[in-house]
Amino acid sequence: MRTGASLAVGERPIRPSAVEWQMERGATQADHEATLLARIARRDATAFETLYDRYSRAIYSLALRLLGNPQAAQEVAQEIFLHIWRGAGEFIPARGSARSWVLSLAHHRTVDALRRQRVRAVEPLAEGDLGAGGGADVVDQALRGVEGATVRSALMTLSPEQREAIVLAYYGGYTQQEIANRLRIPLGTVKTRIRDGMQRLRGQLVQGEEERQ
Amino acid sequence: MTHEQASELLAAFALHALDRDEEQAVSAHMQSCAQCQDELASLREVTEQLGSAVGQVSPPPRLREAVLAGIRSRPDVITLRRGWVVAAAAAVLLLVLAALGVSLSRQLTALSARLAAQERVLALLAAPSARSVPLTGTVAAAVRFVYDPDRGLGALVVSDLRDPGRESVYQLWLIAGAQPESAGVFRPLPGQPIVLPVTADFSRYQAVAISIERAPSGALQPTTTPVLLGKL
Repeated sequence: MRTGASLAVGERPIRPSAVEWQMERGATQADHEATLLARIARRDATAFETLYDRYSRAIYSLALRLLGNPQAAQEVAQEIFLHIWRGAGEFIPARGSARSWVLSLAHHRTVDALRRQRVRAVEPLAEGDLGAGGGADVVDQALRGVEGATVRSALMTLSPEQREAIVLAYYGGYTQQEIANRLRIPLGTVKTRIRDGMQRLRGQLVQGEEERQ
Repeated sequence: MTHEQASELLAAFALHALDRDEEQAVSAHMQSCAQCQDELASLREVTEQLGSAVGQVSPPPRLREAVLAGIRSRPDVITLRRGWVVAAAAAVLLLVLAALGVSLSRQLTALSARLAAQERVLALLAAPSARSVPLTGTVAAAVRFVYDPDRGLGALVVSDLRDPGRESVYQLWLIAGAQPESAGVFRPLPGQPIVLPVTADFSRYQAVAISIERAPSGALQPTTTPVLLGKL
């Protein structure tokens, strides 16, 4: 039978054997997340679906927590997944886990969306809503949304000032400069609080991680 | 930006709490600094946990459909009808509208993907190490695969290919041994060349092939004999 002009590569059939096919499918559960991203970088839509199913809850929940609005959270989640689809090739396994890469990307995009939202709402950055009390309301509200016990207790080991700066940055989507404006303190002070606070959190969280393993 | 300046800002960088300029400066420094890369990786373990600690809520099922439909449409496909200059002008227009507060995030994302893809293809065409392979087979077509093995950049250039019919799409495959890997589905546009950028380590593959698969999303593995093939 003629199969058409030069359609097989080096005499081998173009369709993979059943064995290879099974391996490809069966490995899904144990698939390393890094492998998943490598496959997505090669435009493997099945790998992308698997990634969606693994991360959609985490990504959507993070977006919803920051944006506070299901419609906006869905829009940004969609944007995040498109970024993953196009940018998966930028993930470098030697520079951290796939999960931390995905969540960092998701946080970045969500913060961008939050800042666009604020520009539209023309929210005053320094005056009015917070006054001398700084970010107390925002911090309390954000902390109520933190349900993970490990992270909650790690945050509670920080000084109130460090906690405030980190919570305003991560869950509030504010830049260091904006935090300084809101709290009416020097930028240098915010930088120090964020740096020291993150060091301390890392000591708590990353050490805790090692103990669990 | 010096290493000292960058490393002082890494915690805020991991929290995405820098102004755009600072962020770009830290990012640029990071490219060539293994120490900062390691430090950022460990800070991202912290932000990963901050992100995972929020109350978990399942997204509505329609999000899944919207996301999967979004990747099938391959917005990075370049059509050459009106020229790339028009795309650049459109980008400026979109930026103006965005500045006026019009919600355009999705359009901007799609457009920036297309512009980035065009940039990649331009870089590819300019590369002295680029090679060009015609795809031949059972259908009359003018389709070439251009690729630069040194940089892992490639693009399928479809100048002429008949419509596959409403029920079908063309699917591009990179073939490593007997294992085809999908590089996306596409539909030719009548009278308009299209370009599909492909990023891959081309030393792994011996050929590129195109098969006709079911619309809209194609197949996991080829279900029909390829209609076009080119050896790399």
